[in-house]
Amino acid sequence: MKRLLLAAALAALVASCSSARRGGPAAPDVEVDTRKELLGRRLFDENCHRCHPGGEAGLAPAINNKPLPAELIRRQIRHGHGAMPGFTVEQMSEKELDALVEYVFTLRRGD
Amino acid sequence: MAVSARHVGFALGWVALMSGCFTVLPSQGGGQTEFRPPRKIDVADIAVPGGYEVAAVTIGLTYPTAVVFDDAGRTYVLEAGYAYGEVFTQPRLLRLESSGGTTVVATGEKGTGPWTGAAFHEGNFYVTDGGNPGRILRIAKSGRIDVVASGMPSRGDHHTNAPVVGPDGMLYFTQGTITNSGVVGTDNYDFGWLERHPALHDVPCRDIRVTTAIFESDNPLSGEGARAFTAPFMPFGVSAPADHVVRGSVPCSGAVMRVRLEGGKPELVAWGLRNPFSMRFGPDGKLYVSENGFDVRGSRPVFGASDNLWSVDVHGPVRWFGWPDFSGGLPVTGPGFKPPRGPRPAFILAEHPEQPPLPVAQFGVHSSVTGFDFSTSDAFGLKGEAFVALFGDMAPDVGKVIAPVGFRVMRVDLKTGHLEEFMTNKGDKTAPASYLGRAGIERPIDVKFDPRGETLYVLDFGVMPVDGEGPHPYPKTGVLWKVGKKGAASLAHEEVQP
Repeated sequence: MKRLLLAAALAALVASCSSARRGGPAAPDVEVDTRKELLGRRLFDENCHRCHPGGEAGLAPAINNKPLPAELIRRQIRHGHGAMPGFTVEQMSEKELDALVEYVFTLRRGD
Repeated sequence: MAVSARHVGFALGWVALMSGCFTVLPSQGGGQTEFRPPRKIDVADIAVPGGYEVAAVTIGLTYPTAVVFDDAGRTYVLEAGYAYGEVFTQPRLLRLESSGGTTVVATGEKGTGPWTGAAFHEGNFYVTDGGNPGRILRIAKSGRIDVVASGMPSRGDHHTNAPVVGPDGMLYFTQGTITNSGVVGTDNYDFGWLERHPALHDVPCRDIRVTTAIFESDNPLSGEGARAFTAPFMPFGVSAPADHVVRGSVPCSGAVMRVRLEGGKPELVAWGLRNPFSMRFGPDGKLYVSENGFDVRGSRPVFGASDNLWSVDVHGPVRWFGWPDFSGGLPVTGPGFKPPRGPRPAFILAEHPEQPPLPVAQFGVHSSVTGFDFSTSDAFGLKGEAFVALFGDMAPDVGKVIAPVGFRVMRVDLKTGHLEEFMTNKGDKTAPASYLGRAGIERPIDVKFDPRGETLYVLDFGVMPVDGEGPHPYPKTGVLWKVGKKGAASLAHEEVQP
């Protein structure tokens, strides 16, 4: 089990830093219909896109190719890590954070 | 949900590595690749949305910067006569002939460029010449060249750009800043211009009071071991007393200005824009401006700065958009702008003219947003949206990226600022064709709809690898592409004669 975890961590090391296209312009746009989805998309465009363009790698690692649980994504956004700044409750409410995490899930290109 | 070893592994890797990816990995910019001519062209390597198709119109262009149409609907391409990497050729205005080939309409002297942008209005072309000083040229169809305005503080890092004639009959243009963030430094020596023009520095549009900040650096102009102490908005190696006032004047750095078509003194429209590269009046009558954000270089590096699309109300008061102390409406003293291996930037203006506005849309850090245009016809579709060329990153010279950024055409919903990909290379990565080993697009630098609005012309600057010694642009690798609804766009493929 220990070896398996180490191997998985090593795979994650490579994967977490890699690029990952969502599907290109021939792929259908991510559908956002509800108010919550639109809020999540707006928050992503304003706060995340510049470092993770469309969820792909750029200045920062790709976030559209990792099967991470919502709680870990929430924690990363709230507290930041490395070069990424955290977003306080004053900057992003819990409701907004929920919407953003949900939108990040829609960007996944499939596991 | 059952937690598998894979989930645990990813979680461990994520926590351990999100802090380490940027630090540990080498830069992997789209220009960090090898290239062996000739450039290959194959539209099958390019992806566009379903229902659209791509054709190559002209190949073999040398450092093209703008595509423009005359009143008869004929197509022209501007060749800059200069490329980053300090490569000088002859600026040219070329007409693409329907029978194939090109005709040279006008040429500038070698070393006077770059010619960065072109507009056509009532029988003449208006061309921005980013030499020193920057100028606005009027070029008749006969090839006669007259200077409309001169004296712009150009030929630093950024140039005089983006001519467009407004509904008021005035000629609008932009002037990029001399430096990355207000301070002349060794990065400008590396770019090549500091040795030629050691007195160059940014010129504010209005009086500004500068903080006590003095930036210490190597002094490559005085030999090994020499040090320089440089104040913001001063020439390299010139310091200044605390809280000194730098007098503003027009024309100035980092601004949108306008001038009468017959010439005269430019008038200020907007300022505080770092490198406003292109402008168009939108369907709502507002003036839209694309801006390249800060780099991580020089004496005052700024990390994580987006490129932006702004809207400017040309009828309202003159507004300040934030340079050199704000990025995309946010203060550079905030979290996220601190370089991983450097201090958090401090303000260099003691007082800010106003709280700058927020951009209409933000693009990837270092994506190099350049030319754009708006769809105005149902024949093309996506009416009202902006189509924006992303030249692509110039890492590692502008800072490090861990994957290529830019190198495609995006579309922007002006109401929400949301971006979607419109034209890019096929493959698992967004990168130039030379990086992918394919035959699609390299570095889109301008987009323009034909006068009927049915076809989007996409001008591709060509191949420009970048390494630690700077950019290495390849002449005769520029391409003009066009995109239209299937069946609407001609697939004619014409080659420029050498």
